[in-house]
Amino acid sequence: MAPQIALTPALVVTLVGFAWAIGWTIYMSFTRSRRFPDYTIDPADWYSQYERLFGNDAWTTSLRNLIVLALGSALAIVFGFILAAMVEREKFGEGVFRTIFLYPLAVSLIVTGLVWRWMFNPSLGIEAFLRGLGWTSAQFNWLAAPDTAMYGIIIASIWHGMGFYMALMLAGLKSINTEIWSAARLDGVSLWKLYTEIIIPMMKFTFLTCAILLSLGVVKAYDIVVAMTNGGPGTSTWTPAYFAINAYSTRSNIGFASAAAVIMLLITLAIFLPLALVTAWHHRQREAAGR
Amino acid sequence: MSTEPATATMPVGLSGAGPVLRRRRGRIKGSSIAVFVFLCMCAAFVAIPLYVVIVTSFKPIEEVTLGRIFALPVHWTLTPWYKAWNTLCTGLSCDGIKVGFFNSLAILFPSLVLSIALASVTGYALALWNVRWAGTFLFVLFICAFVPFQIIMIPLIVLVANLGIYGTVWGIALVHAILAMPLLTLIFRNFYKDIPQELINAAIMDSGSFWQIFREIVLPMSANIMIVVLILMITTVWNDYLVGLTFGGISAAPMTVILANAVVTSRGEVIHNVNMAAALLTAIPPLVVYFALGRFFVQGITAGAIKG
Repeated sequence: MAPQIALTPALVVTLVGFAWAIGWTIYMSFTRSRRFPDYTIDPADWYSQYERLFGNDAWTTSLRNLIVLALGSALAIVFGFILAAMVEREKFGEGVFRTIFLYPLAVSLIVTGLVWRWMFNPSLGIEAFLRGLGWTSAQFNWLAAPDTAMYGIIIASIWHGMGFYMALMLAGLKSINTEIWSAARLDGVSLWKLYTEIIIPMMKFTFLTCAILLSLGVVKAYDIVVAMTNGGPGTSTWTPAYFAINAYSTRSNIGFASAAAVIMLLITLAIFLPLALVTAWHHRQREAAGR
Repeated sequence: MSTEPATATMPVGLSGAGPVLRRRRGRIKGSSIAVFVFLCMCAAFVAIPLYVVIVTSFKPIEEVTLGRIFALPVHWTLTPWYKAWNTLCTGLSCDGIKVGFFNSLAILFPSLVLSIALASVTGYALALWNVRWAGTFLFVLFICAFVPFQIIMIPLIVLVANLGIYGTVWGIALVHAILAMPLLTLIFRNFYKDIPQELINAAIMDSGSFWQIFREIVLPMSANIMIVVLILMITTVWNDYLVGLTFGGISAAPMTVILANAVVTSRGEVIHNVNMAAALLTAIPPLVVYFALGRFFVQGITAGAIKG
């Protein structure tokens, strides 16, 4: 009986903290709850929160920013791979480079956002520096303009995430059989071909994992937006995560916030499902290889 | 060995590095230098923001306004650090970031104890004891580990408020423990499942109970994974903003929340060097952990990702 008793707390956490809580939020998204939960659902009008949500310009902006942020910060994976490949080959200074590339991981997204907020500050950061050098038309005040603010957030996200993807890629590269490297050298395969035709295809699972983790991280993007722009200028840098929190804390609208959160959950599931399938497939492959 | 051509998987991955690497065939020295230069440029991109913030935090305010962000301070001063710690204003009060520091510490310890105790026991039970629905439970945990916080936030606020611990460090710690439980359990379970089953069977024959085996056999073998998980949790909890913001109220706000309030939302005069010193004070504890225990740190950060 002891194992069952020991599992009770975890079971309670899963049932109450996750299952019940998710169910509650989904239920609330169908009600007209505002500041306080209201448990009546109008059967003729259960979708009204979703109707309002998708009629809201800020929500449309949030969804668009989600895609922009995902595509932009995908560069972190690209750079992560290039850096991993280079650090792996060039043994010179490997430890130093690794330490430098990985330290942003230890820095919170709030601090990351603030640091980059200052880097983009026209009187304080890069722009002031370039103008001081004599390039008087330099424009780096990205966060102040609605159409460039997202790019500022993307740069900060890349800065923060690059090391993480490098670490994942290094683990992937290290797991590649060393014989492949020497066989490729003996065969005279060019490095370009070695990477594009052998190494990258072998690492497709690592790439997929990185892409999915990145997407899941982007859906959660909240801290960095608060720290860099606080959603502004206007609502131009809102993300779904920011929208949901804002609907709850600023507009005190539980039903509306719940509807936004449910859409976030659906997006997460859409990203997560392939991960679950790929993991299962990878496990089976590894088991087959083990036999 | 798989030699199928790279179709869908990121054919652009090497576009930047291609020429650099191709040259390596002919002139090894030249390409090595090119790679080294590229690595140095990337290292500069990563290192410069920290450098700028550090030097600015030691400058008096007259030097900050000059805009020479890369210059070392002419007159080094600790005043910004002193002000950040003692008198930083957050809109409501001017008690400095120290309030947040002590709140963060008070949140950190119960979070660590709660989450690690819960996850290690659960992971041990799922890995080494025959629990019929273990597979299903692990799959559910796997899903829970990726659920966005917003979907459970409001009901958890209701729950924590009903327990009477909303706005206290205990409320925040409880939420951290709930949020961390799925991932940590998976990490512990993956570690414990490699313990040979014969060892456990022998211990059971030896009339060892569930808890006795955990205490006398499993825990002493867990030093490595404990350090990894400890570092993962220290970084997660210390760097958290959202849980602290939504569950901390005014009195239990952690350091990140106070910092963000001071810099982002407060309407007063903006004092950049003090704000930067406050940001550094917030960033220092996890950075110390990183530089002291780098190897474990990387293991911790990637453990959940790969093994999940």
